[in-house]
Amino acid sequence: MMGETEAVEIDDILDDWFIESLKSYKDLHVYQLEHPTQIIEWTSGKTVCVAGYSSGKNEILELCLPLKLLADEKKSLCAERDFKVVHGGFSEGPVCCLTHIPGTRCAVTNDGLTSDLQLWDLGADDTDVIRKTGSLPGTSVSQAGSRIAARLSSPPQVLHGPQSSSVQLTQLSTGQTLYRLEVDSTEPLSSLKFVSETTFLASCCDGTVYLADTRTSAPPQASPPPGECAPWWTDASAAPQCRVIRLSSSGQAVVSDLRNLGGALCRAQLDVQTLPRKPEDVTVAWAPALDGCFSVSGLSGLVQIYDSAGWRAEPQDASPLFQHAGHSVSSQHGDGSAPVFITTHVWHPERPRTLLSAASDGSVHVWDWVDPQTN
Amino acid sequence: MPEIKVTPLGAGQDVGRSCILVSIGGKNIMLDCGMHMGYNDDRRFPDFSYITQNGRLTDFLDCVIISHFHLDHCGALPYMSEMVGYDGPIYMTHPTKAICPILLEDFRKITVDKKGETNFFTSQMIKDCMKKVIPLNLHQTVQVDDELEIKAYYAGHVLGAAMVHIKVGSESVVYTVSVNKFALCHSGAAWIDKCRPDILISESTYATTIRDSKRCRERDFLKKVHETIERGGKVLIPVFALGRAQELCILLETFWERMNLKAPIYFSTGLTEKANHYYKLFITWTNQKIRKTFVQRNMFEFKHIKAFDRSYADNPGPMVVFATPGMLHAGQSLQIFKKWAGNDKNMVIMPGYCVQGTIGHKILNGQRKLEMEGRSTLDVKLQVEYMSFSAHADAKGIMQLIRMAEPRNMLLVHGEAAKMEFLKGKIEQEFNCYTPANGETVAVTTNPSVPVDISLNLLKREMALGGPLPDPKKPRTMHGTLIMKENLVSSEQALKELGLNEHQLRFTCRVQLQDPHSDSDTLHRIYTHLKSVLKDYTIQHLPDGTVMVESIVIKVSSSAEDANAKVLLLSWSYQDEDLGSYLSSLLKKGLPT
Repeated sequence: MMGETEAVEIDDILDDWFIESLKSYKDLHVYQLEHPTQIIEWTSGKTVCVAGYSSGKNEILELCLPLKLLADEKKSLCAERDFKVVHGGFSEGPVCCLTHIPGTRCAVTNDGLTSDLQLWDLGADDTDVIRKTGSLPGTSVSQAGSRIAARLSSPPQVLHGPQSSSVQLTQLSTGQTLYRLEVDSTEPLSSLKFVSETTFLASCCDGTVYLADTRTSAPPQASPPPGECAPWWTDASAAPQCRVIRLSSSGQAVVSDLRNLGGALCRAQLDVQTLPRKPEDVTVAWAPALDGCFSVSGLSGLVQIYDSAGWRAEPQDASPLFQHAGHSVSSQHGDGSAPVFITTHVWHPERPRTLLSAASDGSVHVWDWVDPQTN
Repeated sequence: MPEIKVTPLGAGQDVGRSCILVSIGGKNIMLDCGMHMGYNDDRRFPDFSYITQNGRLTDFLDCVIISHFHLDHCGALPYMSEMVGYDGPIYMTHPTKAICPILLEDFRKITVDKKGETNFFTSQMIKDCMKKVIPLNLHQTVQVDDELEIKAYYAGHVLGAAMVHIKVGSESVVYTVSVNKFALCHSGAAWIDKCRPDILISESTYATTIRDSKRCRERDFLKKVHETIERGGKVLIPVFALGRAQELCILLETFWERMNLKAPIYFSTGLTEKANHYYKLFITWTNQKIRKTFVQRNMFEFKHIKAFDRSYADNPGPMVVFATPGMLHAGQSLQIFKKWAGNDKNMVIMPGYCVQGTIGHKILNGQRKLEMEGRSTLDVKLQVEYMSFSAHADAKGIMQLIRMAEPRNMLLVHGEAAKMEFLKGKIEQEFNCYTPANGETVAVTTNPSVPVDISLNLLKREMALGGPLPDPKKPRTMHGTLIMKENLVSSEQALKELGLNEHQLRFTCRVQLQDPHSDSDTLHRIYTHLKSVLKDYTIQHLPDGTVMVESIVIKVSSSAEDANAKVLLLSWSYQDEDLGSYLSSLLKKGLPT
């Protein structure tokens, strides 16, 4: 256990970064979970789910963001800076993927070991317990975990699968398969995302992306990898921008238009460390409310924010607009143990510069950064 | 079965007015006696009628223990001791004893003088109540009486907050309100490690909280102060005499040094004297940082922090001032506030909770126009910031405490039922967990161990009788006398020690038997019969005309009335009662032909 003198030393190390943070962040909150999480999933504008990924029993927690962060006009009169656990439950295995079904109190998880899905009731006001309500079998072929995407529909449906050949759309209440992606390739998926009510993007680790429509059984539009250095990670921005970004483990970033995936609108070389990565290590995400901005974690020990606005078709070096170094600076691990790495991060759906990030030491940060260009 | 009973009178499945009754080993203890700040009538007090319906509090309770000075833990104490009536001992730590009366008096003033309530305790009642208080030192065992023992440990929650260990014989209960990780890292925390109380009682309120780091709170504070100073504004920080003020001063001093800031920081002198005085008393309760400052130099010899004079409030330019009292309800902090409130460049930072009715409470509720004495109104244009620095427990702290202590049973209080289910489920993976409501009694069966020793003589005698050695699967019954000073001895030794004469108890029984043979033949037939039936027993046919089965004596004589009948006389000692009864039933059935 840390004695108090040790705490004072770490305080000194923090001083530099913390003093700088007075100007570089509008808000900053640093939390320590009992167990690290690989997922942060919004379940409402104020709540997120996190969950453990150890090999045995794990907790799933629904946390309410600190009131002080959310209170806009009355911010100064609110002293509440803490996360509150509003609901909690137990999973028999690791939770590697968790998707909230919009409009419900239901969530779907996958343990990263098989393609089976577990269904959960996140609980209402009368209870604080998250209960498992059932499961959906995946394809028996796979020994890998599934990606999951929820469709905005009633009754609720989920798109899921471990690889491009086994993506299916399942109705939750009946377990009925409504659609299957007709693709032969057995490439593992890095992500699944709905870009409209019926069209979705299935992105493979080798860089291939498929754009498909669940209403038709016609083969999907396929776009080959934009370069070398797999694995690749992908994100698609919401309408009206319709941008798709693909990022390789060497830091190559390629932005395309959703309607013309084969072509590249612009490219850049990001400022990252080139080390071998596992597919689950990296997260790339478009900012929901900042046109052209996207974030990357898992390639450098920091969360980096880039602005692709000035990028051109010829690749150039890009520098991050902002970097969040909080996790490595305030790491709880002592010297000699593995360095801390960021497991995931998400943007707040509405607040333009608010993000949440989680790391392997169990830390979770909530931060609202100041655009350096406005200073 | 021995059991410990716990009944919350307040804070069972709700929040506020903590008051828990514990019955352990025949002793009755009240843990905390708080006020519910949300009610204005009798519901604010715990329901003492649970006890008083059966008698007086003084007769029922062996003692009252108060965990810390927050009003939801001690606010009802003067009401209980002076208005309901309790004259027994009240235990609390020294800092709690010093701070409680101040908070109780402040609260009383606001409730009675400002809100005009009656049926509330008076200043004299607070004083009389505090006279019944016996202060506790940390880690010091206090014998409340011959059997009840209590000990206080550092809880790290607020100044003076303690965890309490209660012991009667080999049964024990640990009560803690809130414990943070520093308490568990504190040098005195080793006691909790595997202390295995029968019950660990803890609040669940903070178990669902995941705390923002201390450094982020400090960052926010520094950011606000810095922004105000940079635009030429003044910062007022109203503080209570102890705790936060000193830590915030050290923080500002370090920051000023680092950023090379020139604006003055002042600390009002009344605060200085009181604080110095309290710190000398409570030095063991403060954390390392403050202790270092205090020991190395007089804490108010800061480079950038000077003593305040009230004329400085009118000086132009930026400055920071720490002043009492904390809720802006009177005194210097209120005077400064009145001067600075009209300027929107200024800021007031409230570092703590404010009681309803105070100006602090009003501005924290967003009120921008205040009615002052003489019907004048004050426009509040300055920025109002509420910052919390309290070192409460959180989810991790509580689980850490439970795993360290390894209680046989866990009991959660001070939380709503619907919000305790997950925590209860989490704890139940490793320990039993109860969540009683107010007035609901939880009876926990304990298994107190009673160590017993055996005298060597008795052991030797048993071994001499031969037979198999006792083993866990085949226990061996033996006779002895237990003297309640933990020794199992032989009867002779017991009688000797107690100075008693030995009395032997013998039973005699007559059995009629139809048998035409001679007395000695009948005896022989009895002998043969018993030998075939009772193969495991020692049966002897003695020359004096008796048959002995173990120590049971059987004699035969002819019946006086009937020539063909025999009368068997059986005689046995108390120890062989079972066998004796068996034999008499057996022989009543008659002998085989």
